Amino acid sequence: MNTWSIIRLSWKNVWRNPVRSSVVIASVMLAIWSGVFIVGFMNGMTLQFKNDQLDNYTSHIQIHNREYIDEIMPSHTIHDADALESELRAMPFVEAFSMRSVVNGLASSANNTYGVVISGVDVTQETQVTAIHTFLTEGDYLDASVRNPVLIGTDLAQRLSLTLRSRIILTFQDIEGNITAGAFRVTGIYRTPNTSYNERHVVVRSADLNRLLGAENAVHEIAIKVDDFSRADEYARSIAVVTADSVRSWGAISPTLRYLDSNMAVSMYIIIIIIVVALCFGIVNTMLMAVLDRTQELGMLRAIGLNKRRTFLMIMTETLFLTMVGAPFGLFLSWISIYWLGITGIDLSMFSEGLEMYGFSSMVYPALSLEYYLNVVGLMFFATLFASIFPSLKALKLNPVEAIRKV
Amino acid sequence: MAIIEIKDVTKVYNPDKVPVQALNGVSIEISQGEFTAIVGPSGSGKTTLLNIIGGLDHPTEGKVFINKTDMFELNERQLTDFRLHHIGFVFQAYNLIPVLTARENVEFILQIQGRPSSESAQRSRELLEAVGLHDKFDKRPSELSGGQQQRVAVARALASKPDFVLADEPTANLDSKSTENLLDIMAKLNADSGTTFIFSTHDQRVVDRARRVITLVDGKVSTDEVR
Repeated sequence: MNTWSIIRLSWKNVWRNPVRSSVVIASVMLAIWSGVFIVGFMNGMTLQFKNDQLDNYTSHIQIHNREYIDEIMPSHTIHDADALESELRAMPFVEAFSMRSVVNGLASSANNTYGVVISGVDVTQETQVTAIHTFLTEGDYLDASVRNPVLIGTDLAQRLSLTLRSRIILTFQDIEGNITAGAFRVTGIYRTPNTSYNERHVVVRSADLNRLLGAENAVHEIAIKVDDFSRADEYARSIAVVTADSVRSWGAISPTLRYLDSNMAVSMYIIIIIIVVALCFGIVNTMLMAVLDRTQELGMLRAIGLNKRRTFLMIMTETLFLTMVGAPFGLFLSWISIYWLGITGIDLSMFSEGLEMYGFSSMVYPALSLEYYLNVVGLMFFATLFASIFPSLKALKLNPVEAIRKV
Repeated sequence: MAIIEIKDVTKVYNPDKVPVQALNGVSIEISQGEFTAIVGPSGSGKTTLLNIIGGLDHPTEGKVFINKTDMFELNERQLTDFRLHHIGFVFQAYNLIPVLTARENVEFILQIQGRPSSESAQRSRELLEAVGLHDKFDKRPSELSGGQQQRVAVARALASKPDFVLADEPTANLDSKSTENLLDIMAKLNADSGTTFIFSTHDQRVVDRARRVITLVDGKVSTDEVR
């Protein structure tokens, strides 16, 4: 009963100065909203980048001839790819894989020449592993009715002045190290969020590329999609047991991506901790003002028998009310903003050139897990408890005799 | 029977720097049901003595017994608890809690004592009626006059049924009419329920109503007159 009285008095004390309390509550709400929303925006952007990288470029696991990693040569093919294919089909965690022949070469049009990576793919396998086919802006994905079809990116098309059905010459070394070339017809043009990829990658049918390479069964790369990308390291180790070739998870292929993935959570919490700490200073200041404004009253309460524990509880509860009234509104606003913009997206096309250069999409869909919202509530609660210590101690140090006489 | 025994109490402020002797060997006994005024010129030690009787300040030397309990043998937590249950306070500046109504101000002390809410509500009603504020239960201090606030303070001081009430210059901020009114109420409470009141005051009107007047001069009891 007496604790409830203290809590009720604390609540009334919060509204003793409604303007001051409202300003603090509003600042808590806005700080939480802006902080959580920025985190949701960053998280959405990073998640999208990671998903784009995994879905379009690196896949989850890749297998290469070990020498191929050091030097990309057509002769550095995967050993006994047929046997490995059978092994992969038997592995339950492998959802799909694409066996590719990949060489460096030159793409030439009537106007220009440019260095490219040429990927020879099996259309059925490739569409199960990557999503390049979803980024087509023109044409079809390696149209089977056309001889030597090639898929190019918008940036390469622009650089070489190519359009749909244009002819393009791909020049590269064959398996023996001789220079060979083939004429291909542009049957599709894609535009992924990564301009560098759009400029440097062309996709052809593996049968067409291998015929020119002089090795019909040449496989330089196996890109694998597994059931859980976060377990890619573990799965890569399982695959490595059945092959002498190099098996690397997405994290090993792209350390930057792994760094982003593992540090995003830390960055998110650092941002919100900075905001909460800044808020705490404001709250401490407000509560100190509240204590100093009420010196005489606090002295009276101590005199009539409010012990130190209850005085501490009263100030601490006031601080908690001040913070925890604004925090849920801030979190609700954040959730609404993130939910709504997570559906509609934020169009940053005015910055698309810069964003796409680094592989970021110009449409950002903010996203944040429920766990993060709960952790922010917990963080705010404990930070407020911490922030309440100083004003509470200040209240305890008041000498009742001096405090009562203070005007 | 004495409920308060003050034995050779001395109080020196700033003993290490510029010592100021506020009380010098004061010994007084106050019995149940007294209506006592402590008077004296400014700086005579009235408020210091009241603070020591109320356990708000410690004497440099001497002992204070309340109902045979040596107050300053208690630790701080026990002393706070002792004040809560045994002593009522009325302050010069009323010192009500501004965010609570008159009724809640009186109830608050009972609630922190852990009394049931029904008992607190009934007692606060009785006390506010006793001080003539039956129509002001739900008024906040800012909606009451100075005299009415001081009457709420008296009701609050009596709420826990204390052994005695200490009132430090209770009429200093009141006009004549409010002063008379407050004194009538306190005199009636004293007569009806035997509540012990101890005032420190400069106010002749309070002195005139007191049945015992202790005069302090330079920290010593100069006269102790029982009427």
